[in-house]
Amino acid sequence: MVKKKRLRLIAEMARKIRAYRELKSRPRESQKYALDYETMRRPLTGKMLPVLAWQDVRRESRLFSLLAGMRLFGVGRLFTRKSWLEEHTEPSYWQVTKIKVDYTSENMDHGRAWGVLTYKGKQESEVKEMDKVMYHDWRLVPKHIEQQFKDFEPLPEPPVRYVHYPPLLRAMLLSQHHEAGGGAVAEEPVLPLRRDVLLNKDYFRSQEQERQRRAGTAV
Amino acid sequence: MAASVLKRCVTAALKVKRSSPSLSARRWLLSAGYTDTDVWEARERDQQNLALLANTMDRTYDRNLPVSSLTVSRFVDNISSREEVDQAEYYLYKFRHSPNCWYLRDWTIHSWIRQCLKYRARERALYTLKNKVQYGIFPDDFTFNLLIDSYIKDGDFKSACSVVEEVMLQEAFDLPSTQILSLYALGSYLATRPQLNVSEERVVGASLLISGLKQDNTVGLSAQLLGNSLLGKVEILKGIHAVFKGMPLFWARGYLGRALAVMERAAAAPGDVKLSKDTIDYVNDLLQELSSTSDTDSSGEESGDEEGKKEDALDEEDRDEQAKLPQYVSRFKELSSQLETQGKVDSASFQALVTALAQQNLAAAEKPDLEEYESRVKGWEAENRQLIQREKEMREKAEQDKQERLAARAAAQQV
Repeated sequence: MVKKKRLRLIAEMARKIRAYRELKSRPRESQKYALDYETMRRPLTGKMLPVLAWQDVRRESRLFSLLAGMRLFGVGRLFTRKSWLEEHTEPSYWQVTKIKVDYTSENMDHGRAWGVLTYKGKQESEVKEMDKVMYHDWRLVPKHIEQQFKDFEPLPEPPVRYVHYPPLLRAMLLSQHHEAGGGAVAEEPVLPLRRDVLLNKDYFRSQEQERQRRAGTAV
Repeated sequence: MAASVLKRCVTAALKVKRSSPSLSARRWLLSAGYTDTDVWEARERDQQNLALLANTMDRTYDRNLPVSSLTVSRFVDNISSREEVDQAEYYLYKFRHSPNCWYLRDWTIHSWIRQCLKYRARERALYTLKNKVQYGIFPDDFTFNLLIDSYIKDGDFKSACSVVEEVMLQEAFDLPSTQILSLYALGSYLATRPQLNVSEERVVGASLLISGLKQDNTVGLSAQLLGNSLLGKVEILKGIHAVFKGMPLFWARGYLGRALAVMERAAAAPGDVKLSKDTIDYVNDLLQELSSTSDTDSSGEESGDEEGKKEDALDEEDRDEQAKLPQYVSRFKELSSQLETQGKVDSASFQALVTALAQQNLAAAEKPDLEEYESRVKGWEAENRQLIQREKEMREKAEQDKQERLAARAAAQQV
């Protein structure tokens, strides 16, 4: 018979206490993202930043370095990232709605922020947490530039391209059409290269049902 | 002649008695009605003992609990001497570095600046304003106006310009009274012809630009021209990153180009808009200085590795800007001659223009400000009362819970 498992209550309690203490001693944002600018190392982990980021770290600023000097921590203002400015011509920016600053940092330099993103001119509808807040990449959009920054001429969407079906599939389609009594087909069946269909369970189920409704084999 | 002198003195005396500002008899700008403290003193007072409040705050911080904004506002309201101003500064610093830092109230900040002005601790107010990151002091427009005005009254234009720099960093040039006061402070500062180093030039240029953008007349356009050219000089000497880092400025290169665009706009504008002569002369001198320094740089380039290190700070694109300098100089000459032929150059100095503008518009700009201030004070009082009410309710609830717990414990012990 299996020996009855001993109830180790004290070990259980110790495990819970250890988990609680670990939770309490998590490093704060200011400790996690602190940086030594001479050696480009993070004091917490001792790791160095990637070399391509060094010039940006020296020249630009973190989001909260900009927010610390603003009224109400810049809620309602627009902020861009330098990497977006370089990559895309359409404007991309975050509008800040909520701030949780880490008050243990010296210059109120770290924290978390939430806002509404407008990426490449398309505004999203929900408030999301801003990512990459600690990157040295952020720029404030001044109030007198805001309107000029937001207007842009949207590029026209490239037209949908079409492609021939593979030969066997084309033969199958044409024979289906013939059996359904279509006669000679005037135009070639083509496959659009963009389909505005969300591929999920409901879609496949409806396709299955439609296929069952049609009788007969393919060729 | 004696009779005319007497008449002038009499009219000056009469003008002083009236409340509207007239600059022949006065050195300051804002009227007595704006700066007096009656409305502020007439609020209901919440008399508290400062030592008690300080004690409570210290204990709360020791226990790592958050201090409410009401406690801090009560402390600042009840300051009654100069030493207590320093104590209040310490508690403001502690509040800023606590979890409740976002909730520092507007009326606390306003009352702090007022108390500093009252107890002659103006440099403390300026110090906390400059270190707004550490103290959390973000005054509103009315408070900024009061502070700038008190510095202008004493003729301390350098400090007035530092306050204007703070207004620029907050981009708080919404009220016309703020714009007029800041342009006056900047104009008077520049009229003293100070020696500006690069960072000061950047600050003055940015303040001139952002305050000038709001005004659409001669003063505004001259301010924009001067601001853009100062920023363009910093851009050419140090690169674009040195210009916009930490300031609400646009990051696109070509500030000198934008300065020339302002001149074109002035030339093309239909109305009576002109540019003042001394700004055009200043820009001329600036451009000459820049082209002469760039000539000496290019001739001395072969020497030394130190020069190489300095030039690494500038990108290729910054160097393209430097290469465009001669084009800018030639276009500037064309545009200035065009403006003179069109008669759009105003021979009055920038400061005289601003003074005239202030004389015309300041009285009108003050009235809506005062009304808004009064309604705002009432709103603050209402919020204050609400906070006091809420605190009382919470304290009663805590008392009740404690009584219940004690009763439950006593009942449990008896059983």
